[in-house]
Order: sequence, then C-alpha cells, then structure tokens
Amino acid sequence: MQSKETQIKKVLQKFEKGGMDRRGFLEKMTALGVTAMVANAVSLSPLGATKAFAAIQGSEERAWELAKKAAAKAEKKTLTLLIPTGSIGNMTPYVDKWKNELGIDLEFIEEPDEVVHTKGMQEAVAKTGRYDVMMPTAMSYPDWIDSGVIYDLTDWTEEHQPDIFNEEWGVVFPASHHAQLYNGRVAGLLNDGDQITLLCRKDYLENPDKVKAFEDKHGYPLAVPNTWKEYYNLAKFMHDPDNGFYGSLEYRSPYYVKWMFMQRLVSKGRLYFDQDVNPTFNSDEGVAALEDMLAMNEFLHPDAFSFTWSSNYNAFGRGEGFMNIVWPSGFKYSKAPSTGPATTGKIAATVMPADTLPNGELLYAGLFCWGYGYAVSKYSANPELSYAYAQWMTSPTISADAIPYLGGYSDPYRINHMLAPTQRLIDTYSPEYLQTLYDNMVNTVPDFCLPGGFEYQDALDKQVHACMTGAKKPKEALDDAAHSFERITRRIGRDKVKESWLALAKNLAEPIKKASGADQW
Amino acid sequence: MEPKPLSLPLKLVMFAALIIVLFPVFWITMTAIKPPTDWNASPAIWVPSEPTFINFKTLFDPDAIREYGVGGVSQSATKAVFGSLTASITATLLSVAIGLFSAIGISRYSGSSKATPLIILSGRMFPPAAIAVPFVIIFSNIGLIDSYTGLIGIYVAVTLPFSTWMLKSFVDDLPREVEEAAMIDGRSRLMAHFTVTIPLIKGGLFATTMFIFILNWSEFMFALVLSYSNISTIPVQLAKYVTATAGTLYGVQAALAVLAMAPLIYVGYLIQGHLARGMTFGAIKQ
Repeated sequence: MQSKETQIKKVLQKFEKGGMDRRGFLEKMTALGVTAMVANAVSLSPLGATKAFAAIQGSEERAWELAKKAAAKAEKKTLTLLIPTGSIGNMTPYVDKWKNELGIDLEFIEEPDEVVHTKGMQEAVAKTGRYDVMMPTAMSYPDWIDSGVIYDLTDWTEEHQPDIFNEEWGVVFPASHHAQLYNGRVAGLLNDGDQITLLCRKDYLENPDKVKAFEDKHGYPLAVPNTWKEYYNLAKFMHDPDNGFYGSLEYRSPYYVKWMFMQRLVSKGRLYFDQDVNPTFNSDEGVAALEDMLAMNEFLHPDAFSFTWSSNYNAFGRGEGFMNIVWPSGFKYSKAPSTGPATTGKIAATVMPADTLPNGELLYAGLFCWGYGYAVSKYSANPELSYAYAQWMTSPTISADAIPYLGGYSDPYRINHMLAPTQRLIDTYSPEYLQTLYDNMVNTVPDFCLPGGFEYQDALDKQVHACMTGAKKPKEALDDAAHSFERITRRIGRDKVKESWLALAKNLAEPIKKASGADQW
Repeated sequence: MEPKPLSLPLKLVMFAALIIVLFPVFWITMTAIKPPTDWNASPAIWVPSEPTFINFKTLFDPDAIREYGVGGVSQSATKAVFGSLTASITATLLSVAIGLFSAIGISRYSGSSKATPLIILSGRMFPPAAIAVPFVIIFSNIGLIDSYTGLIGIYVAVTLPFSTWMLKSFVDDLPREVEEAAMIDGRSRLMAHFTVTIPLIKGGLFATTMFIFILNWSEFMFALVLSYSNISTIPVQLAKYVTATAGTLYGVQAALAVLAMAPLIYVGYLIQGHLARGMTFGAIKQ
C-alpha cells in the first residue's frame, strides 16, 4: 500500500502535468487529508504544485529535519515539557510519532497555570535543567528573557523559518508580534489563540416577539451588538432574573475583571501608557469605561463576581444568560452538547463591540489575553531539539491538526486555521465563528507583555475590582492603580519598560494606533 | 461530681458550632459522590439523587470520568498519595523523635542556654514564601531538589520547632522526681527517659505526632516549588484537577480531599483517648 506522502506526490505531479482539473485536484488532496488552505494555495501557485506544496509544508518539514539531526546526536533521549494543567490534550497525539520515528520520549510536567510563570522564574535561579520546552503565556517572555531562563529564538527562526509572519498561513497580525516577540526578537512560538469574543443566544435573537419588541423600543433591529451601547441595551432588554436568565455573564471576579476594563478602555481610544510609560488609564476615558461597567452590573449574572473561566462557561452552557464575553474555548464549551446543553446550536458570535470616538468614528478593539506559546529553556540539554519541537508543533499543518483535539487549550491562531480551515477545525468551531475569530484578532491589543507584566496586571485588577464592589470610586481606583504602576516602573527601570512598550505599540492595529495617538510616537 | 445537664441556649450554641464545623466536611463528601452534571449546578444540589463513585475511580483511573463525557485528566493520584504518605510519615517520625530529645535536653539539662528554645522557634518566624526560593537554590546545588529526601528534610526543618516546643511543655510538667526515682533504682539517665519519661508523656507524644502529621500532610508551598516530576503530594495534585474540556473537576478534587481526610480521622479516632489526655496534659499547674 502506498504511503500517504507517495500518494500526495503522485497527485501533485499529475496536476502539474495537466492530467487533472483543479476541482478534481482539490477533492483528491482533501481526501488525502491535506487542508483546504494548502490545497487551494498549491493549485493557484505560480511556483508549480510540487514546489508550492513543499513551501507550505516547509515549516513542518524543516522542523522535522532539524529534530531528526538533533535527536540523533542527543545523549538525553527525553524531551521534558513544562505545561499548564489542562493543556496536554493538544500534545499527546504526537507522543508516539516522536518516540517511534525519533527515539525521543516526551515527558510532560503539568503545573497549575498560575504557577507556570513562577516555575520559570524559579528555574532561573535553580538552573536544574529539568525543563527543555516551557509553555508560558506571552506575558512571561519579558521576565524570562531578562532573567536568562529562555533562549532568544531569533537566530533559529531565521535559519529554520517557522513561517510565523507569512501572509497566507502565518500567525494573524498583530498577535504574531505581540504574543511572540520581546523587543522585536522572537521569544516564543505561539500555540494558542487566546482572544476574547462576544457570544449571544441566537434563539433569542430570532424570537419574533423579541424582534418586534426590541425594534419598537430601540428603533433598530435586534442583532448581535455592534457597539458597547448596543451591548448595554441588549443586556437590559434580555435581562429576566425572575426566570434565572441574565443579560450577560461578563466577568467581575478578581483576576478576570481587569480584562473587561482593558478592552473597554482601548475601544475608547486610550492605551495603558503614553509614550513615556506614564499611566493613561486614570483619564476621562478610563473613568467612563469603569462607569460603563458599573452600569452593566445590574444586568449581569449574580455569580459574575465569583466566576472563574470554567464556572462562567458552565453557567452560559446551562442557559443562564443571553450574552457572554469569553475565550474561544468558551465557544467550544457552549457548542458541545455535553457542556452546553442549553446553548448547543444556539450561539451567534461577534467581534468585541466598538466604542464611538469623539470624532464619531467607531473603534473596534479586542483583547489578545493570555495565549500560550513554546519557549526553549537555556538549561536544556537539547536546545535545538526543543526548538525543533516548538516549530514542528506550531507549523501551519501540524497546528491545524492539533487544535481540534479535546483536552487542550489550543485555539486557532494562524491565518489558515481561520480562513482556510480543515474539516476538523470547522467541526470544532464552525466557519462563522472562525471568521469572527479572524475579524476580531486583527484588532486585538496585547496583555501587559512587558517586564513586570504580571505585577502591572495585578495592580490594575485589584483596583478595578475594588471599584466594581463599591469600595472605591472610579477615579480613586484608577489613580491608585496608576500610583502602583509608577512604583513598578521605577523599580524595573523606566527605560527598560519604555523600550518594550514602544515595541508593543509599534505593532498595534492601525485604527488603534491612530485613535490613541501611538502612530505619532 | 455529676456533670450538670446542658441548658437549652448552650445546646443551641453547641449545635450551631457543630453545623459550622461539619458543613465543609458534609459539602466535600457530597461533592465527592456527585456526578459531573451536579458539581456546580445552579441552584446547588445538596445531596445527589444519583450518587456515584466515579470521582474516586477517576483518581486512580484517569479515563474513568470519560463515562460522563469529561476528558482531559492525565494523571493518576497514586503517586501523590504514595508521596504524601512517604513524606509525611517519615518527616513526622523524624521531627517528633528529634523534637522529643531536644525537649528533654532543654527541659532537664542545664547545658542548654535559656535562649535555645527561642532560637529553635525562630525557624518558624519566616513566612514559608520567604525561604522557599533559597531552599530551591540550595537543594538544586546539592541534588536534593525534586527528591523525597529533600522534601522530608524541609518538612522536618519546618515542623521541628513545633514538636520541640509542644513536647517541652509535656516534659516540663512531668516531675523530675519520677526520673530520679528510676535512677535510684539503678537505671541510667538515658534508660530513665526511655522507661519513665516517654511512657508518662505518651498522650502528649501522640498529640504532637498527630499535629505534626497534619502539618506535613497538608503542606503545599514547599511541595509545589521543590517538585518537578519525581515527587508529588496530595495538596499539589489537588491543584492540578483542571481540564480544558470541563474546567475545574470539583468532584474529583473533593474525592481526593475525602481520601486525604480519611487517615487523619481514622488515626484520630484510634488515639482519641491519648489525644484528649495529651491536649489537657499539664493543664493543672503544680
């Protein structure tokens, strides 16, 4: 029996010689398990089918060649990965291949996700060499690079080309830069498209009585919200606490609430800092963002102040609310009948709502928050092999295969995952939601991917939460957070934070740069 | 003297105290036998209508929970249970043994400085978080990181002040004359301690052992920072029951918590007489 590779090669040659029409070629390639994106790009490529196919699969194949060489000379035949608990499902399907074809055992050390950053910092002082590959969020890179615990991957990426910036199958901009670079250098390879989108109950949007009542009341059609104002109106309209149904499930709980504020702030045209890293969120826009959130509190699920990501997903899946602001995993949760018994087949998703700028323009700003990636430990006995693993797992082809596996956090992050998805990606998410993810991701702003990023986030989170619980007025809370920010900046070093902040701001989406004035920095 | 009957207000207060004390135990136990659909149902389900042992089974067979469509559990709790037993029992025995002789030394012999008990206690004056990282550095340099030897060593270091101070109070309350009487009967000093001192403070010894065991059994921070893949304990394992497909596995966490409580309750029951005596030992000053 012919191997799949041989069969693909024959199809490519046949197509190239004109022995097959384009439709037949696409069908045949799909039958052989090649993604629609790859097959389509190959069929249209001026390079010719064989070369084009090699180019798209190149990232995976180059990584595999490097892995073979590194594995052959490795004395330690185990690759140890530090991963957050709950993420292993995207990695285990490939364990046998690495063992059988490379002779490399993959060992996973799972730690609670809030501990991964600390474990990395600990490795900087302990230097145990127990980890080869480490899987932090993008916010860990600055501190980890500065403390010397992980490699700067730039030289490897230049040599082995992981195609992270490719226009057709690279990581979607600006996450390609925010979630992988530190000061313009590659610190890690993204394997998880963590961004926040908005989910609505489609069955309520299509209810004729509600359609009429809403339009009569507001004078515009009942639909997914386009602006934060519409979001508020919808939450108020659908809020029905007597029947255990609430306007929205937006988070107000410690640790999560900062993200709710950050995205609102940016959609008002304000960033977290100015060009000299002075805090800017304690401005009129910041106060207005908090006031908007306070106004929403009336229409939120009663557990909003204690939600974790999973209890939030569970409540939405049980049918206890009209809207939810969640990561892509929240969509998967709500779509699956086992975890979303009340929402399966009933979800409409949209990009994060826009806000209206003083000049009347709408500004869309999503948030790329969290987002795991692979980094290579400086104390690894096999750093090249570790890098090869990172590139191989995040290549356009392998990542498209890995994401739909259950039991992992990995969500779409490359262009081909969203715009030219495989059938398994479509089955897991839906074409509409994949398009929504792409549309939202192009306008995302990053977390505090700066030196001391976790400290900044924590300081902001505490104050926003204090405001939401009524312990502080909006302006007071934001001023206190700004004060904490100044202290953190002074301790870390203003120049160091500034360099990193300007590098982040340089790669924001153009509308956000323009609205915030960062295009003039 | 006949004990007085309880008045109604006191009965009510005691009943309220019992409810407060037992509620977490009740809730954990009920959660441990709930199916995944009931773990965080809204409104809360107090007693499951269809109790199941699937959460307990999942602890040792991670795939068992798939029966309910929940996947993503990747680790068996066997290693953590074994690790907790190994580290806690060994460290407790060492801590109590060393603490016992330290206590006898401080209480009975003039060679020790008056500051010695305070110096021993000073080890407890640092928050664990402050000393965790230095220990990581030291242990990684001497090869003790990610090993039970290292974990047991730090457990002994952390609990020794408690065992010394607790046992010192029991030894202090024992009249020296009974040891001297044993020596008059021809026993050496050491044998007098073995045959007289230790048997007479048995209740205190049990109480101290139990207390130190609970401290070791529930310790989280050192186990977390010192572990990579070779060692594991129950408190660390509890933090790992989070999956991408079902979020926090409350039922499985609760099952492990029930298992973690079981030995303490069982041993406490067996030695309750000694415990009561140990806790009240020396209550009446001579």
